Order: sequence, then structure tokens, then C-alpha cells
Amino acid sequence: MTNRIDRRVVLRALIVLVVAAAAVTFLGSLGSSAVASTPEVASYAAGATSDATAGITQANTIHAEAVSDDGSTETNRYLQQFVNGIVFGLLLALASVGLSLIYGTTGLSNFAHGEQVSLGALLTFFFTTQQTVSIPFVPVEFTIGWPLIPSALVAIVLAAGTGWLQDRFLWSPLRRRRVSIVQQMIVSIGLSLALLNFIQWWFGAERQRLSTSIDTRIDFGMFEVGQSTLWSVSISVICLGAVAFFLLKTRTGRATRAVSDNPALASASGIRVERVIRLVWIMATGLAAIGGILLAIYDNAAAFDVGARLLLLMFAAVTLGGLGQAFGALVGSLVIGVAVEMSTLWLGTDLKYAVALAILILVLLVRPQGILGRAERVG
Amino acid sequence: MSDAPVIVHADDLYAGYLPGIDILNGCSMEVREGELIGIIGPNGAGKSTFLKSLFGLVPIRTGTVKLGEEDITNKRADDLVKRGIGFVPQNNNVFPSLTVAENLEMGAYQRPKMFKEQMGRIGELFPKLIERKDQRAGSLSGGERQMVAMARALMMNPSVLLLDEPSAGLSPDRQDETFVRTREINKTGVTVIMVEQNARRCLQICDRGYVLDQGTTAYTATGQELLKDPKVIELYLGTLGA
Repeated sequence: MTNRIDRRVVLRALIVLVVAAAAVTFLGSLGSSAVASTPEVASYAAGATSDATAGITQANTIHAEAVSDDGSTETNRYLQQFVNGIVFGLLLALASVGLSLIYGTTGLSNFAHGEQVSLGALLTFFFTTQQTVSIPFVPVEFTIGWPLIPSALVAIVLAAGTGWLQDRFLWSPLRRRRVSIVQQMIVSIGLSLALLNFIQWWFGAERQRLSTSIDTRIDFGMFEVGQSTLWSVSISVICLGAVAFFLLKTRTGRATRAVSDNPALASASGIRVERVIRLVWIMATGLAAIGGILLAIYDNAAAFDVGARLLLLMFAAVTLGGLGQAFGALVGSLVIGVAVEMSTLWLGTDLKYAVALAILILVLLVRPQGILGRAERVG
Repeated sequence: MSDAPVIVHADDLYAGYLPGIDILNGCSMEVREGELIGIIGPNGAGKSTFLKSLFGLVPIRTGTVKLGEEDITNKRADDLVKRGIGFVPQNNNVFPSLTVAENLEMGAYQRPKMFKEQMGRIGELFPKLIERKDQRAGSLSGGERQMVAMARALMMNPSVLLLDEPSAGLSPDRQDETFVRTREINKTGVTVIMVEQNARRCLQICDRGYVLDQGTTAYTATGQELLKDPKVIELYLGTLGA
């Protein structure tokens, strides 16, 4: 993991953003006549995308349609989608950073990370809903109906607890028995499927709303953002800042980076590697839960497969930023977020993942180590 | 052999990386406080495995390792650091994405207060590192990385330092510097056990040497005696031995 974000890194990220936007514009100019020839269709496409991934809300779609006759709409739409992309990127980053930390410290590509995102959102729903709920295998129904914030906090603690449980009873024994990384990855795919089905069985297949209140939208002139979205972005920035502070400024954070660099040497330096990894699992699953909750609030609702659908984007973000680089996951998520949201201005919503992955391929062709990854000197 | 008390005692070790395949087939060693011990031998003799087994990185199947009177067989590496053993691996011996100062801080991870105390001592031994303390270790040359690695292992003020081929991959100048530093560290009272490919240079500076062959300690003598030993000259030092 890198120890600081210097100006060159910011410049690199900006260049990638510009290149990504240019590529999307170019592709868009090729396919725009077929897909989104009218502002109404474009607006609809933007709305539909966001509905699927956590893009703009219904109110936003209506707004985009309402102003579609205006000459300034083009700029407005571009900027609006760019802002939506940044928002989505920041929320995606919460989930991706955890994935990156786990990869960095253990080498594991955790395919079950998406379900941790879903779990955070749906556990919050479990505590906050006014409907009757039940716990699996317990034949008692009851209503909890707590306010959103305490529900979210309990959900985050429980989700982080699942990280502890997983590492304590699954990943740590596998590591101790020297099970190879590929085998562990297969286990994580199995766990992902098991968790996905479990969550569906528990919460059902329909989309669940965390909050029934109507979001107030704040107009910034060229674009507008929902009040709850602003809160979500603020929480996300605070959480990401806290992770950065932990990694750079605390002794345990520096030890986490050391384990990420070289676990054997970390152990030889006196660091309790297993303890650091346990902490990383707790942090990663907790962050994924926060990401899930904020995405669910942003998107108005969450379904059992919200995380599974984000998993590919998370992997793309982590790889794009530089494998194992915690800050790379942040930069990668922003690039992916903007690319996904902006591509919907010109391309069909079915292509949004393709755009994200095309940018991933393009960046890796130019910069194999990812945006923040560094080529190390040998000898 | 000096009269100083025995600090490390390895008795008839059988050890290997994979179950059922032993690389060490009866290695024994006795090291006294303040000694500089060199372990030499042909490729594949088990020198590095021997050193790693002392540090708990290779599972010992039979035999015991004692630090003073304490049995440390198969103890975890981080536990051994706490008990006063430092280890410098041959490869990947720094944290590349951490700065030099952060690398050194990791060396004192278990006792953070020692970090500042030890920095003065490290500054005397490796003044260059203090100049480069904010530089990423991944951008250093091989020789500089070796210095960082040694300094990191010294941060906990160990009583025993294990060095795995410290001169490997370095230019002749840097190799010389490494051997001089090793001797300097030893003179500050740290017992050093080093594995070396450069047998002649190693035997020139060490108090005693152990010759390993096919996973067993073939024989031991002082460095000077081994340098003159016809068999050692023929097998490991070449015809220009003395």
C-alpha cells in the first residue's frame, strides 16, 4: 500500500478521468443515434441505470425530463451525471476499500464481499422496518421499528461481527492449514452463493426500503443533490478519511501496511500478523456494511442481490486503482463511478458495466500496476 | 571457545518445509554469548533452513532449540522477537511501500518506546539511513535495503541476531561493507549467527564456523582454523583458499 497520495497520483487519476470521459464520449457519439437520440430517452436511460446501481433517484429523473427543452440542459445533464458518478464512486469506495485491504493483507480475492454489502443494508432494514420480522430458524415474529440511525449502527456492528466470525472460524484455519489462495478464493465463491441464498431466504427477493421519508433535493444551480445523498457522501468521506488516518498515522495502521507488503517479514519484526488480519476483516466487513446502508439510502431501497451486482464493479475499482492499494480502491471507485454514470448519457444501460470494464482494460494496458500501484525496484 | 555462557543451543534438529521431507537431518549448534558464528556449506546443504528453524519459520519435527535455559522450539517468530532474537531474511527483507523510518518503527513494534531510543544507535551504525528516513524503502538499492533490514532487526535491541546471507546479490564493495557492519554490530555485544555463501569472507570475520553438509553439521572450528582446513579449502573455498 502506498503511504501518501502525492500530486502525481492526483494528476494520474485526473488523466484517467479525462481519458475515460473522452472514451465514453467517443463511444457515445458512435452509438448515440441508436440508443439515446432524444433528451427524454437519455434522461430515462440515466434514471434506469441509477435505479439499478444506486444512480439518481426518481425525483432526479423527473427533474432531468422537466428541463429537457432548455438549452442549458446538456451541461446540466453532464454535470449532474458527473456529480452522480462521484457520489456513486464514493459509496462504492467504502465497499472496495475493505476488499482491497483483505486482498492486501491475505492475498484473497473475496467473492463474498458483495454479500457483506447486502447484509449491511438488509440488517438495517430488519431493525428499522415497521413490518413484522423474524430470525431464521426461530418461529417467532416480532416488530422492531427502531429509527434509522440506531438500526444502522447495530447493523454495522453485527456485520463487522460477521467479519470476526468468518476470520475466526473459516479463513484463519484455512490459512493455518496452508490452503492455497486459489482454493480459498473458490471457498469465497461458495460462501458468496450460500450467503446470497441465505439473505434472499431471510429477507425475500423484493426491494426493501430503509426509509419512507421523502428526500428534499438541494439545488446547486448546475446540478442538484438529495439531502440524504449529501449526508451519505459526508459519512462516506469521513469514513474514508478515518481509514486513511488509520493506515497512515496509527501504529496499527502502519503495521497493516507492513503485513500487506510482506506478512513473513512483519511476523519476523514482531507484528502479530493474525491479529492484524482479524482487525482488517472486522474493518472491511464493517465498511462494506456502511457502504451497503448508504447505497440503499441513496437508491431508496436494497434487494438481496445489491452487493452481488456491485461485486464486479468493486473488483474493477480495486484492480484499476492498484491491487492491494487501499487508496487505489478509492481512486478506482471514483473513476468507475463516473464512467458508469456518465456512460448512461450516451449508451444503453445494459452497457454500463461494459464501459467500466473497458476502462479497466484500457488503463491496465497503459499502466499494468493500476493507477496508484508502483513498479518496485528489483535488487 | 570462550567461557561465556551458552546463549543458543540447538540439539539434533530434524526439520523441513513439507510433511515427511526433512531438510535438516540432525543439526546441532552451541553458541556462546557475544560470539559471531558463520554457517557455511554447499548449495542445498540446509543452511538457510537451519537458520529459519531456529527462528520458528520452519517446523522442527524432532530436536530442541534453547535460548539460554528456555526451550524455544517451534515458538512463533513474533514471540521470539519479544525474547530477544532478531532475524534478517535473505530476500524481501524490507517493507517496500513504507518509508525507512516506518520500516524501523515496525522493528520496534512490540515496544514503541524503544523506537526513539534506538534511533540514536542506528544513526551511529547506519548514518545514511537517517538521511533517507523519509524515502520509501522500495526505492532503495540492494545495499541500502540490507542496511534497513539489519537496522530493523536491531530496533528491539536483540541479544541474538540471525542473518541469512546478508551479502547475497551485493557488489564486492557493498559485501565488504556488510561484513564490516556485521562485525561492528557484534562488537556492541550482540551475538550474531550468519549464514553465508561467501565462505571465505565469512570465515575471516567470524569467531567460529559451522560447516553444513546434506542437512547435518559436518564439523565446527574457529574461523581461522576452517580457513586453513584442507578439506574445507577443497570443498568450499577452492584451491586459492588460504
